[in-house]
Amino acid sequence: MGQFIQFTLTRAFMALFTLLTVSLIVFTLMEMVPGNCAERYLAFKNTQGQQITVDDIEAEERRLGLDRPFLIRWASWVGNVFFKGEFGDSCILRLNINQLLSDKYWISLGICLAALILAYLIAIPVGIYSASTPSPVTNNLLRFLSYLGLALPNFLLALIIMLISTVLFGDSLTGLFSKEYRDAAWSLAKFQDFLSRAWLPIFVLGWSATAFAMQTVRALMLDEIGKLYVTAAAARGIYGRRLLWRYPARHAMGPVINSLGFDLNRIFNELPVVALILTLTEAGALLIEALARSNDQQLAGAIIFLLTASIVIVNFVTDVLLALMDPRIRKGLIG
Amino acid sequence: MRLMFWRKRELDQQKLKEAYFTASQGQLIRARFKGNKTSMVAAWALTIMILTGLFAPFLSPYAPDISGRDKEYENGPPQIPKFWDENGFSWRPFIYATERKRSFETNFRWVITQNRDERRYLQYFVKDWEYSLLDIEWDLPGDTFDVNVQMFTWDRHLFGVDKGGIHIFGTDGTGKDIYSRTLHAIYTSLAVGTLGVLISFVLALIIGGVAGYFGGWIDSVLQMITDAIRTVPPIPLFMALAAFMPDEWSSETRFFFIATILGLIGWPTLARRIRTHLLTERAQEYVLAAQLSGASASHIIRRHLLPSFTSYIIVDLMITFPYVVRSETALSFIGLGLTDPVNSLGSLMQNVSKADVLLNYQWYFIPVIFFIAFVLAFVFVGDGLRDAADPYSKTKK
Repeated sequence: MGQFIQFTLTRAFMALFTLLTVSLIVFTLMEMVPGNCAERYLAFKNTQGQQITVDDIEAEERRLGLDRPFLIRWASWVGNVFFKGEFGDSCILRLNINQLLSDKYWISLGICLAALILAYLIAIPVGIYSASTPSPVTNNLLRFLSYLGLALPNFLLALIIMLISTVLFGDSLTGLFSKEYRDAAWSLAKFQDFLSRAWLPIFVLGWSATAFAMQTVRALMLDEIGKLYVTAAAARGIYGRRLLWRYPARHAMGPVINSLGFDLNRIFNELPVVALILTLTEAGALLIEALARSNDQQLAGAIIFLLTASIVIVNFVTDVLLALMDPRIRKGLIG
Repeated sequence: MRLMFWRKRELDQQKLKEAYFTASQGQLIRARFKGNKTSMVAAWALTIMILTGLFAPFLSPYAPDISGRDKEYENGPPQIPKFWDENGFSWRPFIYATERKRSFETNFRWVITQNRDERRYLQYFVKDWEYSLLDIEWDLPGDTFDVNVQMFTWDRHLFGVDKGGIHIFGTDGTGKDIYSRTLHAIYTSLAVGTLGVLISFVLALIIGGVAGYFGGWIDSVLQMITDAIRTVPPIPLFMALAAFMPDEWSSETRFFFIATILGLIGWPTLARRIRTHLLTERAQEYVLAAQLSGASASHIIRRHLLPSFTSYIIVDLMITFPYVVRSETALSFIGLGLTDPVNSLGSLMQNVSKADVLLNYQWYFIPVIFFIAFVLAFVFVGDGLRDAADPYSKTKK
């Protein structure tokens, strides 16, 4: 038990370190954009017909605390994020970022996690099956599919699905809700509608991850199937699915669980572009909005930080789960 | 008789074995790669595509930018050259003359009609816009970095028609030839990929090399930083960085900026591999043997360590390449990457998600096929090379 606590604490410390590093990167990026909040705010006032002087800008900088040194501003930003969960205001929209993001962030995260789950629901059985069949046709097909996961980026897949469905059914299948439910309050009917439309973005988002995960599961299973304990189990008369799931699959699952965080990374990667194509207004399209249209660095920084934090948390949870499942990791023997 | 046959076979085998044991690493890799049929096919496809990219101006009948637009053929469907129709057979391939009309019957939309009685014959090596196969004109910030080289200037193009235009992949909304744009886009993707991969390679070599060579706490700290950077989803980060670009930047500056960003973010995976490789190789017996025979550190690095992983590095670069191209495409697609005068596969596809395009102008999707083929070829070649470079791949598979 002591070892487990030590393990968890080390991992927690590492996660915290990662978050801090990422926050420094994100904050530096926000700072590197020409012009600061005070200038933007006063430039806006200028367009409203007010006369602006350099003194005004400096006064505004003092009011917003922008005259302090870089590291102190970073510390206060990080402090607010970590202890209060507060990202401050967006300069351009002059709205509180938490209010702006809350719902959208949770829906995006939900969709991405659903995509992750769907990816593994498909990848694990298919990967295990393909590792256990000697048929070269299945194996080559699977190899080709996993390469397509790289060659056919999610947004192109989305476009092709849209093209086919428009030509065949006359509906481009975009958006998360149909028209009548878009602004309605949440209800069972709205949820059903959501589910009936959300499968496409969920599948599209998970597509690359599925293709890669299939390859990973297959490779891991192939490694494990050749090992002696499997032969020994087979010699004891265990065969078929029972043998596969009980022995090699359990061992192969460790690295698979370990890669969950990186797959979530992959899915987040696709989120903005897929969201743009499938017009998912609730999801990462906001990031594009924040960056491309308005150069809103505060909002963009908050989104990137939130996405990375989700990945770090998933990584931490999978690490702890693995340690719970596998005593070898818990005792620091491997991994 | 039979005995002789056996003997001969044994001798052959011995020769083969000898050849195998005396072959250099490069020869072994080449031999193994040639044995992989899919990778060989992919390698040929890739070579052809790289050549089309390099000779894009010669192969494309029209300029890929606004100067090459065909005003009379906007949103025109692909024109596929034919050898025969109901009016007879012709050795020289031909297309039909087109006409566009707008009237009350067509609801005042421009509608393009073919005139099947008027043929336009394909001409070869036609004179058109002038281009240079080697055309480097970089207007980088700072005058000293400006480069202006123009060589192999020519004005001939592989094919064209005598009157009107030929657009074998159709045209887009402004009348630009999609075929010409696709070829130029392949070139752009190659250039962005090469530059991005080179930048991340240099970074990875330095950071991974330092971590792997020194080991210890330097390695731990560098690893933690690398891991932290690896957790950030790259495309959102690309987007944040790409938003720095002021609108007034020229397309060349944008190109370099994008390639640099892609390189700056792509290094962690590569650095990690180099580091792991260095760490494992450093502890190998052959390094120890060299040390015991009194070899200097620089000799060990040059003669033993570097050759031990150059093949891995080449493979890694091949594998990284499609990721860079893919990120560039995604960035350009959402309008944050390369923009109009520079054609990239992403900027070509910018408008395809509109309902109008989906319903009426499906040929906008033709570049997608090229993108997929391009990346697939790269991945297959990279994979084949990895298998070939791995001396244990045969026993594993």
